Amino acid sequence: MTAVDAPASSTRSPAGPGRGRGRGRRQHALLRLRGDIPMSTRIALAGFGIVVLFGFWWLAADILVKREFLPNPADTLGGLQTYWNSGDFWSDVWASSLRILKGYSISLVIGAVLGLLIGSFRSIESFWESPIGILRYIPATALVPLFLAWLGIDEAPKVALVIAGTVFFNIVMMADVARLVPREMILAAYTLGAGRARVMGRVVLPHCLPGMIDVARVNLAAAWPMLVVAELLAATDGLGYRLTVLRRGSEWDQIFAVLVVFAVIGITSDLFLRWLRNRVSPWARS
Amino acid sequence: MGPVVTESVAADTNVDIQVDGSAKPPKLVVTDLVKEYRTKKRETVLALDHVSLEVADQEFVCLVGSSGCGKSTLLNIVAGLDMPTSGTVEIDHEPIIGPGPDRGMVFQTYSLYPWRTVAENVEFGLECLHLRKARRRERVQELLGIVGLTKFSDHTPDQLSGGMRQRVAIARALAPEPDVLLLDEPFGALDAQTRRSMQDFLVTVWRRTQSTVLFVTHDIPEAIYLGSRVVVLASHPGRVIADIDVPFGAGQNVNITRDPRFLDLRDDIEDLLGSV
Repeated sequence: MTAVDAPASSTRSPAGPGRGRGRGRRQHALLRLRGDIPMSTRIALAGFGIVVLFGFWWLAADILVKREFLPNPADTLGGLQTYWNSGDFWSDVWASSLRILKGYSISLVIGAVLGLLIGSFRSIESFWESPIGILRYIPATALVPLFLAWLGIDEAPKVALVIAGTVFFNIVMMADVARLVPREMILAAYTLGAGRARVMGRVVLPHCLPGMIDVARVNLAAAWPMLVVAELLAATDGLGYRLTVLRRGSEWDQIFAVLVVFAVIGITSDLFLRWLRNRVSPWARS
Repeated sequence: MGPVVTESVAADTNVDIQVDGSAKPPKLVVTDLVKEYRTKKRETVLALDHVSLEVADQEFVCLVGSSGCGKSTLLNIVAGLDMPTSGTVEIDHEPIIGPGPDRGMVFQTYSLYPWRTVAENVEFGLECLHLRKARRRERVQELLGIVGLTKFSDHTPDQLSGGMRQRVAIARALAPEPDVLLLDEPFGALDAQTRRSMQDFLVTVWRRTQSTVLFVTHDIPEAIYLGSRVVVLASHPGRVIADIDVPFGAGQNVNITRDPRFLDLRDDIEDLLGSV
């Protein structure tokens, strides 16, 4: 079709020279928004991502920077071996994990209960909205001096910081999960004779469970930084404390080993929570 | 009131209504119902303007009207899920103060629990009644038989077609043996073929269970096909503009939709809704 034949179509952009024959905008196989790509391509790209990460690390360590405070992956592996053999490894991992477990469990319970109530009842939402809105913008780490003064230097301030640093995220995001329960499901339960408690327990909770586990998984990543801050400042064991010790001895390969340990713990808990989600709510499997 | 029963009906339910329907006190009575909403701009919108309505026992009444006529609001008020500004709704002379299992409700979509199997979905209302497990199972099997889903009792809702899901929703609503079955455009999300077969299905279930049905739809032929009575609501404000006894019973003859009387009635209601 030429411009002479169809002057009326001038508002539409012309096919344009050199764009090839046919109509429409040709789409790139890998760069379609929300487009699907073959499984093999996905796996290849995932592998490529890991290769790039380690390649870049190696490149930076051995060629670009070449300083002792940036060990390459092989040195880090050696550092991990030293750390493992030192006997501190498991006690550090255990001490830190236990603090996360205590603090984050409390944070999750508060977040789940308050979040589900806020997301389900307008009255409770209106009451809590302002207090939570104000408190959540106070950086949890700014509370460290107070926690140390109030709670001493033992376990309590570390657990408290993990709670303070995650509980508001948990509440707000759990409330969002609860708001996603379709109204029809709740109304249907009411018309079937269910009371408030039964609607919460038999409709809202089961519908929210997979979403709540997802929230737990996402915010767990925010719990660890809180713990490390607490351990850097006042601790006698734990991974954060180990970093301060290793820093004094300039044992950079072991410091990197600790970073790797953080990553491994993180990935493991992430995979566990994904598994748990599919286990408890197979209906919501994506 | 009471439909005229055509020759093809041998079912006892319809004959029953015809014989002593007029003598019977109405099952559901809606009196002078007014519902006002306050919009965010602080304007008052009249959703229902003095709506009155009576439904006899075992009657199948369709509420038809275009969007904004308040037909869903009316249904929600009957269900007890919404409160009227003024006016009353009574079932067997008892005022409605909230939702309850005596009024089963079927929604258009998203009301089945995807974490429960078909049987467990139907069981939900029976759990609320605190029936024993054996009794619940028995009743669930009976209902799945009525809606023809016995073979699918262990399936999850996502494994079912849209029509089958609505059958489950209907079975679930019927489980606590409600006095009135309320349906809010239950087939609105289905394709035309499925909708047609679901309409016949609903009529069959209605006959078997001898329920009283209040059915909301914007689809005029659907209302005429199903209802023994069609109540026409106009919009802005929502009010009853016609209450029509359908002269050919509820959906008993598939070919009725080609009958001139059916088509005339459809055109009449269309004109009614178009003229206001």
